[in-house]
Amino acid sequence: MRPDRRDLIGASLVELQPIQCDRDLLLRSLEETLSERQEEQLTEHLSECYACQRELERLAADQAEWSKVSETLRRAAQSSDSFDASRRTPPHDETEPRLGEHETDFAVDFLEPSREAKALGRFGDIEILGVIGRGAMGIVLKGFQAELNRPVAVKVLAPHLASSGAARQRFAREARATAAIVHPHVMPILSVHSSGRLPYLVMPYVGCESLQHYLDRNGPLAPIEVVRIGVQAARGLAAAHAQGLVHRDVKPANILMEKGGGRVMLTDFGLARAADDASLTRTGVIAGTPQYMSPEQSRGEAIDARSDLFSLGSVLYALCAGRPPFRAETCYGVLRRITDTEPRPLREVNPEVPLWLEAVIGRLHAKDPAARFATASETADLFEQCLAHMQQPALFSLPACAAQLAKSRQPTVDNTSSEQRSHPSNMSVPLRKRRWFAAIAALWLVGALAASLFAWSFFGSRTDSVRIGTMPNRSPPVLPKSESSATQWDGAAIQIDDALRTSDVLHAKVEELWPAAPLPAPGETEALVPSAPNLLFNSEQESTK
Amino acid sequence: MQPPDTRHSLIARLQNPANEMAWAEFVAAYEPFLSHLVRRHGAASQHVPDVTQQVLAAIAHSVERWRDDGSPASFRRWMTRVARNVAIKYLAREWREVTGQGGSDFCNLLMNVPDADAEQSQSYEFELILWAAEKVRAEFRESSWKAFWGTVIEGRPVQALAEELNVTPGSIYMSRSRIMARIRAEVRELND
Repeated sequence: MRPDRRDLIGASLVELQPIQCDRDLLLRSLEETLSERQEEQLTEHLSECYACQRELERLAADQAEWSKVSETLRRAAQSSDSFDASRRTPPHDETEPRLGEHETDFAVDFLEPSREAKALGRFGDIEILGVIGRGAMGIVLKGFQAELNRPVAVKVLAPHLASSGAARQRFAREARATAAIVHPHVMPILSVHSSGRLPYLVMPYVGCESLQHYLDRNGPLAPIEVVRIGVQAARGLAAAHAQGLVHRDVKPANILMEKGGGRVMLTDFGLARAADDASLTRTGVIAGTPQYMSPEQSRGEAIDARSDLFSLGSVLYALCAGRPPFRAETCYGVLRRITDTEPRPLREVNPEVPLWLEAVIGRLHAKDPAARFATASETADLFEQCLAHMQQPALFSLPACAAQLAKSRQPTVDNTSSEQRSHPSNMSVPLRKRRWFAAIAALWLVGALAASLFAWSFFGSRTDSVRIGTMPNRSPPVLPKSESSATQWDGAAIQIDDALRTSDVLHAKVEELWPAAPLPAPGETEALVPSAPNLLFNSEQESTK
Repeated sequence: MQPPDTRHSLIARLQNPANEMAWAEFVAAYEPFLSHLVRRHGAASQHVPDVTQQVLAAIAHSVERWRDDGSPASFRRWMTRVARNVAIKYLAREWREVTGQGGSDFCNLLMNVPDADAEQSQSYEFELILWAAEKVRAEFRESSWKAFWGTVIEGRPVQALAEELNVTPGSIYMSRSRIMARIRAEVRELND
């Protein structure tokens, strides 16, 4: 394996030094093409240097423009009806239903009455026991399939998306594809119901938390844990890639870790795609940062399985560092960082990370897909050997490939700014290019909303934390009362029955793996984790050793 | 930056009804701003997309007849006027539905709708900057916007904001200049 040239970059430990006044640097800071380190140096310099403060302002806009904009905004802020400094433009079209505010309305809108006293209502053959979470793209419900005697999670596409034919088709196509991946490191989909009024997915109700949630709570993970997660996530990706699926949204929020057992599962395969069709025409406001995208994704180019490997590299980096590798003030800035700069060397952030691990992650982070590992399974194999080495260094030596990567990453003698060598200054970013980036960012956001919905809702947002496996405290059941809604529901039920028949085959296949589990007792907080996949997982682990 | 005559050539192409590309380009460039105008004229938020569509339809309908009168911002003034007329028509209908009458109350309402024709150009600029600022604001971290707003609009000292936001003065200079540069770029994009 030949060492990637880029692996050499970033290894030189440049000290934070005061910099000289540099007009080009100022210009690039406005265009957000500086690396994180360069930006830090420049802000430090700006704090002290009056000349550069003035120059930066002059580069941003001329004096007349500064005063025109500030006068306009001041005037607008003074008039009562308009622009308000404290009011942020709502990130979504206001015509969109706010699920958070009308949760029970939402439930009334599609649930059938249930005979179960503790159920909110019924959806198909599933008694709905509560709302796990909700987001812009839909709602995730906790349910119980009485016939099969198992708890499930039901993910329902939001009505405003369900009315778009394209969104529904993609939802169905991607969901079916995902359901076809039967793998211990991929969250299974038990059934897909795409022909009813509201398409929905049924998944097992599993006690786990997302890596994002784990990171937020506990900070960086020990390197051996990171490698262990790396093995499993790469295996899950390999299974998806074998089906011709590219995940496209690998990030800590989409990787679930089983509680106790520590098994890792990928979730939300390609559901991001279901969202973009219906939302393309919405006013795209960028409200997040596409921090785990690959460079080719950021540029809006065609992507293949190797894009997921870059994102996996970013996930593992974040697990080691406690923060994502590419951060910036704006979405656009993040995209530029991803395409143009190397992240800060991991060992500078967390000295516990072995050099070889930094080097292997660096290889995943190669800007050129061809310079990354060729496949997810190659990556998984390598991580597996590394894990063996970490667990029993006396018995297993570090894989030659990792050792070689580490060697090539030794700090170089040359101490000039590596970033400037690697990234020729991009003096003028054409506006069109910027708009393209912004469009990608906006699309990403829309996709991410969909993709993160599942994980987010399972684990609760940071402000509204719903523990997985815990029945959330919800308002008393609200059932549809009017006759008209009942009639409407009969129609939907028939359609759902149709969908059920078509997914019988799927059911049968998944039933082998997921035998019926009893409903947790009311006081029980942990959901029951079906044991069959664990067995499969264990046997697979043994066979790959 | 685009060459300064791009928009003029776009308008010229727009006047050829067969040129659907030009129309698509026009909608892509101006729809967000027109919807901002409609909202500012007082349309209820759930009706903004509809009224914006009506504005676009009105423009599509009459753009062939538009003639450059040679005065500055002739097309923009015309476009702003179309948006205003459509919005007023909408408001009048709303008003009738709510009150069942026209009358002097409605005239009072209209008085509050910004601007007469003479101020059209100035109003256009005002709205454009406002629109750009709202758009740019959503791109930035909240703390960056606060830095910009506090030091540039409220005129507070950089040092005070730096302490309040717990950042270095340097990052305040950088954030506010970036925001300014973005607002300027957005304004120029529609304004050339």
